[in-house]
This record gives sequence, C-alpha cells and structure tokens, in this order.
Amino acid sequence: MANVSVAAEWQLLYNRYYRKPEIYQMRWKHVDLSRNKVACASFGGPIAVIRDDSKIVQLYAESALRKLRIFNSAGVLLSETVWKHPGGRLIGMSWSDDQTLISIVQDGTIYRYNIHAELIQPNVTMGKECFEQNVVECVFWGNGVVCLTEGGQLFCISDFKTMKPYKLADVPGLTEDDMLQPSCLAVREPQYTMSGNVEVLVAVGDEIYVVDEDEAQSIRFDEPGGEDSEMGNDDYGGSLIGPVQKMIVSPNGKFLTLFTHDGRIVVVGMESKQIAIDYSCESALPPQQMAWCGMDSVLLYWDEDLMMVGPLGDPVHYFYDEPVILIPECDGVRILSNTSLEFLQRVPDSTESIFKIGSTSPAALLYDALDHFDRRSAKADENLRLIRSSLSEAVESCIDAAGHEFDVTRQRALLRAASYGQAFSSNFQRDRVQETCRTLRVLNAVRDPDIGIPLSIQQYKLLTPVVLISRLINAHSHLLALRISEYLGMNKEVVIMHWACAKITASPSTPDTHLLEILLDKLQLCRGISYAAVATHADNCGRRKLAAMLVEHEPRSTKQVPLLLSIGEEDTALVKATESGDTDLVYLVIFHIWQKRPPLEFFAMIQGRVLARDLFVAYARCHKQEFLKDFFLSTGQIHEVAFLLWKESWDMGKNPMASKGSPLHGPRIKLIEKASNLFSQTKEHTFESKAAEEHAKLLRIQHELEASTKQAIFVDSSINDTIRTCIVLRNNRAAAKVKSEFKVSDKRWYWLKTFALATIKDWEALEKFSKERRPPTGFRPFVEACIDADEKAEALKYIPKLSDLVERGEAYARIGMAKEAADAAAQANDGGELLERFRKTFSQNAIFDTLKMPFQGA
Amino acid sequence: MAQIPNLENAPLNLKSIREKSQRELVNLLKDIRGTKCLVIDPKLSGSVSLIIQTSTLKELGLELRHLSEEPVQTECTKVVYLVRSQLSFMRHIASHIHNDISKAIQRDYYVFFVPRRSVACEKILEQEKVHNLVTVKEFPLYMVPLDEDVISFELDLSEKDCLVDGDVSSLWHVAKAIHELEFSFGVIPKVRAKGKGSVRVADILNRMQVEEPVNTNDVGRPEVDTLILLDREVDMVTPMCTQLTYEGLLNEFLHISNGAVEVDSSVMGSQQEGKKMKVPLNSSDKLFKETRDLNFEVVVQVLRQKATTMKEDYTEINSTQTVSELKDFVKKLNSLPEMTRHIHLAQHLTTFTSKQSFLSQLDMEQTLVEAESYDICFEYIEELIHKQEPLTKVLRLLVLFSITNSGLPKKQFDYIRTELLHSYGFEHVVALNNLEKAGLLKKQEFKSNWQTVKRTLKLIVEDTDTSRPVDIAYVYSGYAPLSIRLVQQAIHSGWRPIEDILKLLPGPHLETKRSGFPSSPSVDSLHGASNGVADGRRSVILVVFIGGVTFAEISALRFLASKEGMAYDLIIATTKIVNGAALIETFMDKQG
Repeated sequence: MANVSVAAEWQLLYNRYYRKPEIYQMRWKHVDLSRNKVACASFGGPIAVIRDDSKIVQLYAESALRKLRIFNSAGVLLSETVWKHPGGRLIGMSWSDDQTLISIVQDGTIYRYNIHAELIQPNVTMGKECFEQNVVECVFWGNGVVCLTEGGQLFCISDFKTMKPYKLADVPGLTEDDMLQPSCLAVREPQYTMSGNVEVLVAVGDEIYVVDEDEAQSIRFDEPGGEDSEMGNDDYGGSLIGPVQKMIVSPNGKFLTLFTHDGRIVVVGMESKQIAIDYSCESALPPQQMAWCGMDSVLLYWDEDLMMVGPLGDPVHYFYDEPVILIPECDGVRILSNTSLEFLQRVPDSTESIFKIGSTSPAALLYDALDHFDRRSAKADENLRLIRSSLSEAVESCIDAAGHEFDVTRQRALLRAASYGQAFSSNFQRDRVQETCRTLRVLNAVRDPDIGIPLSIQQYKLLTPVVLISRLINAHSHLLALRISEYLGMNKEVVIMHWACAKITASPSTPDTHLLEILLDKLQLCRGISYAAVATHADNCGRRKLAAMLVEHEPRSTKQVPLLLSIGEEDTALVKATESGDTDLVYLVIFHIWQKRPPLEFFAMIQGRVLARDLFVAYARCHKQEFLKDFFLSTGQIHEVAFLLWKESWDMGKNPMASKGSPLHGPRIKLIEKASNLFSQTKEHTFESKAAEEHAKLLRIQHELEASTKQAIFVDSSINDTIRTCIVLRNNRAAAKVKSEFKVSDKRWYWLKTFALATIKDWEALEKFSKERRPPTGFRPFVEACIDADEKAEALKYIPKLSDLVERGEAYARIGMAKEAADAAAQANDGGELLERFRKTFSQNAIFDTLKMPFQGA
Repeated sequence: MAQIPNLENAPLNLKSIREKSQRELVNLLKDIRGTKCLVIDPKLSGSVSLIIQTSTLKELGLELRHLSEEPVQTECTKVVYLVRSQLSFMRHIASHIHNDISKAIQRDYYVFFVPRRSVACEKILEQEKVHNLVTVKEFPLYMVPLDEDVISFELDLSEKDCLVDGDVSSLWHVAKAIHELEFSFGVIPKVRAKGKGSVRVADILNRMQVEEPVNTNDVGRPEVDTLILLDREVDMVTPMCTQLTYEGLLNEFLHISNGAVEVDSSVMGSQQEGKKMKVPLNSSDKLFKETRDLNFEVVVQVLRQKATTMKEDYTEINSTQTVSELKDFVKKLNSLPEMTRHIHLAQHLTTFTSKQSFLSQLDMEQTLVEAESYDICFEYIEELIHKQEPLTKVLRLLVLFSITNSGLPKKQFDYIRTELLHSYGFEHVVALNNLEKAGLLKKQEFKSNWQTVKRTLKLIVEDTDTSRPVDIAYVYSGYAPLSIRLVQQAIHSGWRPIEDILKLLPGPHLETKRSGFPSSPSVDSLHGASNGVADGRRSVILVVFIGGVTFAEISALRFLASKEGMAYDLIIATTKIVNGAALIETFMDKQG
C-alpha cells in the first residue's frame, strides 16, 4: 500500500512517532554554517548569517570585509550589508518578535537591523558597566535579552520596544572577589514567571541561581520520590545535581533541561522542583546545541550526532555529515544545514491514525476507500460500510492530517478523501473542509521558496494571519499580502498603506505628479484609507509637495488639518478647517498661526476669515483682552475698543478695591470718556458716544451726591434710580437738577415721582404734585401708585379723574369695588367685552376652591 | 414620579440612546478607583440628571459638588471635573488647582469634557500651567431625551453665539448629534432646511457622512424619513409671544427646567411653609400628557370635568356593593395624586393669568403681531419703560415690535434706547448692542414685509375655538406660529410652493435628497416596495430647531402629528427649550 512509504520515514521514540520531512533544499551557495554566526527567526522567519569573528577561518575567494547577509528560510538572499561596526566582537545576534535583528557587540552596543539589512537608528547601548566590563555572553528571548559581563554582572532589556537596559541582582560567587565563571545561562521569559519580570537562571559551581532585578536565589531539585531511576547516579546523595554545563527552559517555561558535568540530561519542573527525566549520555562532553522539540522531547546536538531524548525509552539518533542548527518552534524543531532545511516534529495523531502501518482506524479505511474508488474497485464501498458509524470522525481526521502536511500532493489526497467521505456523511460541518483548504492555500503560498516562510498549520494559528501579513509587508511582499488579505476577507488598509509608504521611500526620483497618480490608483482600492498618514510619510521623506497633494484627498478633516499645519500649509488648513464646520479645528489652526507669526501678520490673516476672526475674538474676550484691543485697533474697529474700555470701567467698579468714594472713580470716568471719544470717531456710533458721555456725567454727579449726602448709595444706579433716591431723601432740588441735566421727559418724570412719593407714603406731596398742572400722562400713574401701595382711599382721589372709562372700570375692579367697576364698564362703549372679562376673573378663583373640596377628605 | 421620563412609547428608541450615555458616564467614573469628588458645572448637572439618577452616581463612591469660583471643599484626593467645554470654567479649574498647590494639598485632577475636549479650553489650562496636572477625557453627551418625542442638545447659548459672536460651534454639535442618531436609525434620506444655520448643519452633516459613513447595511432601512431643520432666527416672533398652552404657561411663569418646575410647597397644598419642592412634568404623568398641549383655558375646564366625575364616583361609593365596582373605584383613585397635583398647579397659574397687566400684555402682543397700529404699540412700550417694568419683559415686546416693523425709525430707535439706558442703567448698552447685532432690535431701513408673510401663511386665525381646535393657532389663542406653519408646509409639500415667502424670511433654504452608503440597487428596490408603514410603525420626521423651541410650538407640532391623514410621527429636537424671556436673557451679557 502507498501508505507504507509514508510511515517508513518515521522514527519511534518509545511510543511516539517522529518525522523529519525536508522542506527546502537551500538555495544558497557556499554558505558554511560552521564558519558563521547564524541567527534564525522562529515562525519560519529569516536567517541572518555573518562570519564568526571568534573563529579562525580560512578566507577563500572573498573579501576580508565581513558581510551581514539575510536569507529567507529557503536560502534566498533577501539583503546584505557590510558589517563595519566598532565595539569589538559580535557576541550575540537574534531576531526579535517583530523581526528586527538585534546584535550585541563586546562593548554592549546594540545594532538593530530590519529585514532589508538597513540599520535602525539610533544605536542603543546596554549601559556604562557593559561598556567598561565587556559583554561575554547574551541570551535572547522573543522580546528581550540578558547580557553577562566579564565582571559577572547581569544586564537586561526586557522589552525591545522601549530598549531600556537595567541591571539584575548580583549573583553570589560571580562578584570580583570570587572570580568564578558561570558555566551557563538560561532565561525564563516574563510571560511565564510569577512576578511577570524576567528570571535568569545562572549555573555557578554546584549551584543554580534564579536572578531577577531584586535578588538571586539558589534553587534545588528533588529526585523523583522513591523511584530509583535505573539511569540515576546516586553518587551525589540524591538531591544534588552538581555543576551544570548547559541548560535550557522549555517553550512554556515550566521545565528546565540541564546537562550535568557527568553527562546526564535532567529535566526538572520549575514549580514542582521534581525531576521528570534523568538520562545518562555516553559522553560527558556538553552538547553544542540543545533544544526542546515541542513539549515532548529534548534534542541534543554534538558534531554529526543529533540525539532525541524523550521521557521514556531509548533515544533516537540522527546522523549528519555537516553542521546543523536547531531552530525551535512551538510544535517542533527546524533543522538547518548547509544544504537543506528539515522540520522535525511529532507525527500528529490524525496523520498517525491514517498512515501507521497496519492501521485500521476509520480514517485509514476512508483514505484507503478513496484509493479503491480511484481504481474503480468495489472495495471502496465495502470500506465505507465498515466505518459508517464513525464516518464523520474519519473525515475530521483526514482534514486535520491534510492541514499538517507540507507536501501538496498528499494534502490533496487527504482532502479528497475527506470530501469523498463527507459526501456520505450527513451530519458533518461542511465548512471545515473549506476552511482547511483556505488555510492551506495561504500556507502553500507563503511556503513557496521565493517567499520562504515554512509555517506549519499550528504555527500559523499561533502567529495569526494579521501578524503573517504584517511580516509579508515588512518583507515587501505586498502583492501576496494584498491577495491573502483579500482572500481571507481582512482589511486591506494595512497592506495598501504600507505599500504606499514603501513606494514613496523607494521612488525618490519619480516626479510628484506621476508618483501621486501611481499612489492614488492603489489607494482608491480601499475605502476610508488614511491619506493623511501617507502624506505624513511623504512629508517625512522630504516630499512636502507630494504630501500637500496627497492630503488634498483626505476626507477626514480632523486628520487633514493638523497635517496641513505641519507641512506649513496654514492658509489651506484654515480654509479646510472652516469648511468642516468643526470650530475646534479652526481653533487649532488659529493657535498654530498665532504662535508662529508676529501679531500683525496674524491679525491680517484672520481678519479676512469671518469664522476664524469671530472665534479668535470670542477666545480673546475671555482670556486675552489687551491683545484683543491690539487686534481691533490694527483692523480699524475703533468702536469695539471703545466697548472694551467701557466694559473695563464696570470691571473696575466691581472690584472690591474700588470702594465707594475712593479716588478710583477718577480712572473709571477717564476710561468711559475715552470710550466716548473713540465712539465719536465713527459716524455709526454717535448714540453710544452720547450714552458714554452721559454715563461719565452721571458718575460724576453721583459722586458729588455721595459726597454731599455722605451716603454711598448713588454710584452705579441708573438715572431713574438716582432721581428716585433723591426724592426719597426729600432732596427735591437735587432731583430736579438731575432731571434737567439729563433732559428727562415729563412723562417719565411723572411716573417716577408719583411712585417715589408713594414709596415714602407722602400722600400730601403726591396730591400737591397732581395739582401742579394737568399731568402729561393723565392720572394713571397716581392711580397705579396708590393701588400698588394698597391705599384705596388715596386711589379713590384719582380714579374718577381717569378719562378712559375702560381704565376707570378696571381700576375700580382692582380695588375690589365691583359695583362701580360694573357701572363704568357698562358706560364704556366696547360691546360688553370688559364686563364679560370681569365675570370670568371673579368666578375663576372660586372654581378651584370648590374643586379641591372633595379630595381633602379622600 | 421620577424626573427621568419613561421613554417606552417613543417613536424612536430614545431609551437606547439614554442608556448608552448612562453607561459611558458610569464607565468613565468607574475607571477612577476609589472615592472621588465629582465637580460638575451647574447647567450640565441639570442635563445629567435627565440621564442618570443622583443616587446611582452616589453609589459609585462620589461626592457631588457644583463648579464655581470657590475652591472645592473635599477630603477626596481625586477630583473629577465634569464640564462643558466653556472657556470660563477653565479659569475656575485652574484657580482651584493653584489654590490646592499653595496649600500643599496633593490631588489627582481629571477633567471630563462634555461632549468633547476642546483645543481652546486646553489652551487655557496650558497657559495657566495646570495642563500637565490634569487627566483629560471626554464624555460624548451630545443630546438628552427630554420626553418621548423631544430631544435637547442642551446648548443654551446657541442662538446668541451664532447671531452675536459668530461662534457657530453649536452647528457642528447639532450636526454631530444628528449624525449620531443616524448611526442608530439610519441615514435620513430627505432634508429640508431654512435659515443660515440650518443649511450649514445640513452641509456639515453631509461632510460627516463622507468622513465617517453610516453603513446602511448595519442599520437597515432608515427609521427617520425626513429631517426638517429650522433656524430660530427665521421666526423670532413666536418665542416673543406668551405661550398659552398649559405647559407653555407653566414655563413662562414657573420656568420648567430639565422636565420639572420648582415651586413653594405651599402651592402644592403642603403644610410646610417656605420649602421648595420639585414637580416633575413629563408624559409619564398620564393627566399631564393629556393636558399639556391644550390651551390653558381648556385645561381648567377639563380639570373641572374630571373632578366633577370623580366627586360623583366618590359619593356613589357609599351605595356600591360588589367587589368589582370597588376595584374600579380604587383604580380611579390611582389618578387622584395626578389630579390634585394639576389642580394645584393650575390654580397657581391663574393667580398670574387673571392679572389685569397680563391680559393687557396679551392684547398688546396680539396687536403687535397684527402690526397695524404702530402708535398704540409704541406708547404702550414707552409706558412700560416709564413704569420700570422688568427689563426682559420690555425687551421682549420691543423685539417683537422691531421684527414686525423690520426696525424702528431712527429717531424713535434712539429715543427708546435712551429711555432704556436712563431707566435701567448704562450697563445695558451691551444688551442693546447685542440685540442690534443679532438684528432683533434695529433701525428701520426698509419697509417691513411682515404683513405679506402674515397674510400668505395665514398667521392670524380669527374665531379660534380653543376647546375644539382645528388649527395650530390655538396655542397662541389666534396666532399660528410662523415656525410651525413652515414645518407644516415642509411636511406636506416641501419648500417649492412657498419659495416666494421663504425669500422674505432671513437665511437661505435648501431641499435635498441624500443616500447612504452606495448599496446594491437590488436591495434598494426591495425596500422600496415595502415603503411606508412596514412594521406597524409610522415613519418619523425629525424636526430640528436651531436656537431653541418653545413648548407651545411643540404642542402645535403634536397637534399636527395627531391630525387625521398624517402619515408620520414627529420627533422634535432643539438646541434648548426656550421662551422669550430666556432668549432675551442670553443676549444680556452679565456686564454690570
């Protein structure tokens, strides 16, 4: 059967099968891993190669200058650059999670490269101590690094985004007095530790210390309780492991693998401190590399020998006649050699159930059935009938196994088996096949050697499509990224945006208009894309004109306006902000210009723009009055200045410091007079000018009155009130003086005086006043003043003198003389309207009283 | 009864809008751990009280304070300012912080801007050197549902800002609020606008749809069919008249604010003298829902009738025997508190309405609106000034006078202004100047066209039977509000037939159709077939008043909506509920 050949390639480690398919034949030429320092990114990322300056190597036909070369996982050269940094030997090099190559040299300087071998500025350093003491070793994890100095101190950067180095606690025995050398280091990533901070494991002598920022604690491990391991060596009295030559932490941070001085491999739990595996190797020589393969086994690599140790059973050996590098992944290990890249992983359960020799699982039978079906053998039907009950399970297995395959023919065969089975199965989630097909298409596309990202399905799910796409665009595979995001129904904005920015960077010599056309063509593919962001990039690339053209297309004014400001297009910014109707944006522009330009220029700019001007005035009124005066003066709005001065005079009056009768009245009056003068300069404001003049005069008179009466009750009252106060104080001369001074009309005078006299209840004077001459207002003021003061008898003196009968009737009604009111109303010639109204008012109040009655008891 | 209205029967799901605001506020406050002092600007606190109960706020561990110039007295180390983005508040906040610094009190400060942060405000904080001490956040409260069919944007100063200061921030706010509504209820397809501000809002709204499109696929068929935008400036006559509906009169005399009036408890028949009490007024009160829109005269009759029936029931109860009859009676008793409440309020109102001066004022308003006896009006106003009646009352009539005559002849204009300044004080020159800038009180330059408008739109309706109204004129006992006449036209026939009249009124007009996101035509036609009354709900027309609306106008609109043959529900949105006095007061800068 065809299946046999598949399983023949598997190795058995105790009861688990492992397989090691070759993914790529490396495309590179003349790369010898043993001569180089190599950094391989996880998740099928790029490979950085640079000649190892700690080794003496023979140069062939090559330059003596060292070159940093970056390849994809298939060995296709992506970029290269000459390495000529000072700072001593290159100590460590690794890819961070966002695919930045971090390289640390002896003096602690960190050089960062992107995937295009471009140096990312600025260079960072691990700190002064590293510079003085030299870095001897560093251990990386996805997003950080720990460095060991010659002086035995540890420094850490726990986040490559912030690049802030800090010192970890001193390790006992590593201080300068003891001069011990640590035998090895390992790092537990922050995401797996209790504290959330990174923990460094340092083996010094017999001890292993866990070091963090605050302290270094030694840890001890126990042998498995009671169980006397065959492989165990009891020389150290059980709990002691002794000096450790090499150690690594498992991918989930829960286990620690140690290679001891006597050639034992020990796996211990970090929390439980229990020993899970203890196995003696033939050699006490430490392996060159050690790696976890998923969570199930540990790989050790010596020259030509790769050994895999599991919890139980004999280890598996693979032999290589060339150097290899182990690249741990979440679900296995990639093995890179000079000529090929292989992926070592545990055979997935579904695959095993189908291809294991002699397997009779439903999935295996289904796969077999398809084979028969293709050969038109009736046995296909027989097979199907056998597995009828577990058909959906079989289909599921086939789909799953297909997902795990790197080989496209086998993917296809498995998927065909799945869909064949699906046809006979009624209760199966049909979109599972589709979904896997979709995922596989994406995976196959990125696995193509030219792209060279050999992701397994598990890695892909862990990485997420979003990150995959961002990696693709980082590597400038925009078209593929676009197709994938389209295919997966994701937002294309990220891709197009990145493309546009990269395009601008990459075409410094293309003319603006031409480049704009190219960009717009693609930007229009995506609705709601931020033109402003692209424009910002163009501006940063020194293409201000292009930026201006691009920002024109930005529909969101909130993004457009700030950008226009930053590229110096203030006029356009003001226009756009005004058009948007968003006053906040207009303010943004105003403040920007205000800050940058001299006042006169600023005034000229906003004077012509109504909204900007009005908003500025509103703001300045509240906060910058002096500046506002300057504005009005420079733009010839004299009357506005006058209003401001006038307002100031009131503010001054409100000021508690300006107590009554103090010399502050002088300045107040001056301000008002100045305002009056300013008003008089324009034709339109003669009224205001006169009013201000009168106001000044009034203040002066009030001032004098306060001085003469020694009562601070005049200032800031109106002319009417001043007169009234005079009358109330029985100072008729003063009242008459104010009256004539301001030419108070007779009508107003009569109303004023009658009410004032009524207030002080001087009925005699009131009567005298009424008889002085025939009042120009009629007798109404007298009647109303008396009624208001609730003096019926006084009111009756004047009511009969009212000439209007309706008025007279109403007046009677108001003092409750219904009969007289009715008489007057009857005489009035208005068709009984008044009479009707009286009836209503008199009855209405009675209604409510009767209404409320019944509810009082309820 | 709660002050927060029950919104169950709203034509649109306004409840969800209120709940969203509620959630946002609570989340903002919850983000700050521990006890804190919430300092809220007084006007805003009224609006907030319409979306969340004070008790709920207190449960979040808050001390509540009103923002003023005085430093905040609290033990809390966290002070949260919840303020509208007004420049003057920034000064207060800065001075509070400076005060704390001088006393070496350490506190965390948060400023939550409503509805959004503003560059100008933050500029002031920067200049006062406190910006780095405060955490700035936003509480996007763009609107508050006042009742089932009324939304307020809570922009008190909108009219004055636009007309006097040229600060049109409120227009953006209005557009934003409508756009927010569109996110919930779909893009409104038809727009009719009259007035400068309205046309601008329509324009900004279109821009917003381009910048942040409402995806029609997300919201389905638009629930609002037409948007009618109207500037208050177009009709300043109506608010200057005294409203004669029950709710309108309550507002004129007792100032309804945030859906409640505050009266002396003695008014409501309580024994405690001198104490104030709040009476909530919204449609959760069945009796109020029934009477609020009626002419006050009729309300008195209705109340009398109800009381009489009740009285009869009450006397009959002695003779009833069966349990079911008793049950019925008890059910009726449930409405008793409502009855007493409104009888008290109505009686209180009559103490104002029966005054001679009130009646003559109404007469005068009618005369002013008819605008046929210039001298009588002028003398009446002159006498009001001489009597030194309250300034707002005088200005209200004066504005009415000026508008209907399109200004006063120069000589009289100057005379009246001088009399005003002499009588009330020179500080009021600012108010006069503001009114002049706004065109509300001005020199006559050309002949008034009010007569034409009045005649063509039939604004004066003789023989109005207020108890069985056939026309909206009942709300002002004979004067049909110009604004509502325009809305009436906009609903029934659009602007075209009255374009000539529109040209006589201030500001441009506009009538457009909008579409949402270009969706596939097949979907459109599918919906087109089921247009109109699809799911038993009527289409909605949103009427937006920029610069304020009066209760009487709202009543008139409700009357329109209830008329036979009306195919739409109306929702009214406004920058603020106003009346003449409130409008005039916004123009009277506190200068003196």
